[in-house]
Amino acid sequence: MRYALLILFVSAVVFAAPKAGDTVTIRVLSAKVMKTPKFIGSSAGSVSRGDQLTVKEVQGDWYRVEGTAAGWIHKTNVTEGKVTLSSTPGGQGGKVNQDEVELAGRGFTPEVEKKYREKNPNLDFAHVDAIEKTTIDPAELEAFVTEGKLQ
Amino acid sequence: MKSPAGKPTTKLALLMLAMTLSCKAQLTPESLSKSWHAYQDAKKDLTPENEYYVGRSVATNLLSRASYKYIEADAFKTGELGPTTAYVNAVGNVLAAAAMENHRKDDRPSPIAGWHFVIIDDDTINAFAASGGFIMVNKGLVKAAKTEDELAAVLAHEVAHTVRGHAIGSIKKARMAGVYKEMLNNTVQLDEAQLGNLTKAFEGAMDDMIDSMVVKGYSRDTEFEADKVGLKIMADAGYDPRAFIKLLETLEAQGGGGKGGFSATHPSAKDRIKKLEPEVAKYDGKKIPKARKERFAAAIESL
Repeated sequence: MRYALLILFVSAVVFAAPKAGDTVTIRVLSAKVMKTPKFIGSSAGSVSRGDQLTVKEVQGDWYRVEGTAAGWIHKTNVTEGKVTLSSTPGGQGGKVNQDEVELAGRGFTPEVEKKYREKNPNLDFAHVDAIEKTTIDPAELEAFVTEGKLQ
Repeated sequence: MKSPAGKPTTKLALLMLAMTLSCKAQLTPESLSKSWHAYQDAKKDLTPENEYYVGRSVATNLLSRASYKYIEADAFKTGELGPTTAYVNAVGNVLAAAAMENHRKDDRPSPIAGWHFVIIDDDTINAFAASGGFIMVNKGLVKAAKTEDELAAVLAHEVAHTVRGHAIGSIKKARMAGVYKEMLNNTVQLDEAQLGNLTKAFEGAMDDMIDSMVVKGYSRDTEFEADKVGLKIMADAGYDPRAFIKLLETLEAQGGGGKGGFSATHPSAKDRIKKLEPEVAKYDGKKIPKARKERFAAAIESL
């Protein structure tokens, strides 16, 4: 019976995916919402951290959403539920309803980085600031895949 | 099977689930402390946000050193990618997309600031993956690859380190105990002492990560895991898995990458080939088309 309980419990938690009508919140700094449920292809718009979107349809790990942009977004780019995330990761959010979001404002945060930078003025954060601003258009990536006959 | 009260097992299980979820909704530092006390594992407990901030500082720490100058740096300053860097980022992001698409439950496939690949202007054979999606590949290792598929093997190994949380997992457990204490106490505003403690832990976490990435390396098993997961990622992305073995054969022929660096932080190429060959045999080989060969030659010509 223990195994039966365990399996039931685990499956209930693991497969509690959002359904149509639910809200999801973007947790990455920015992401493309895609025209089709795949990472490489044409995008239908952009979303930013903290944006809340309504799920219209679920296909595996992909959610068709509507909100600041309409299209498909992968589950790894969102936090399930309607939560308040600051635009800066680690900044103080408002009310939260999930432990991972609760903890996003704790631990190694911008405040800690700021303190570390004050202690180490010789370190040049301009490198990573510039590097992380660069992006690759998923439509260009699709052309790259097609040209190289990948997949 | 029935519970002692004669109720069906499913009802009992659902009751337990409801109780668990109810507890989860009333999250308190105390309840978190109890649930975390058992394992204290940075890989499980640090959030993607925490991971990103350590990774940013680790990458900064390396890129601020004279020995870690990177190519096409001026393009980055204008928000662009230089041609060779753009090519490496295209290959890297195709692999990252495959890793995200086929991720396992405990993978960390979506760094919050995306995936970024930088080519270090150094002819020795080496590559590093800081947490948070910052990947650095030495020019020497890019040049050691003879095809795009071999370059994909290099990058897929590093993407695998990130996806499997190897860098963040290298933070010592003793270090994490101090971090938890401050994380749990910190509700609204850190006082000066808390901020000082967390910053000290942050520096320690960076030291642990740099030690694993650059100085001592990961365990042999961790490297073999990155090879195996990397192989799957490159196959999922459409690359020829046999290219991984070819790359390792080149590294072996070059004496494992020379003194120090890569050879000091990785198992021998010979051992890696031995471990990887049975895995490669599980996949069908793929012919590398002409267009892929040509664009690889054109992209790395300037190196």
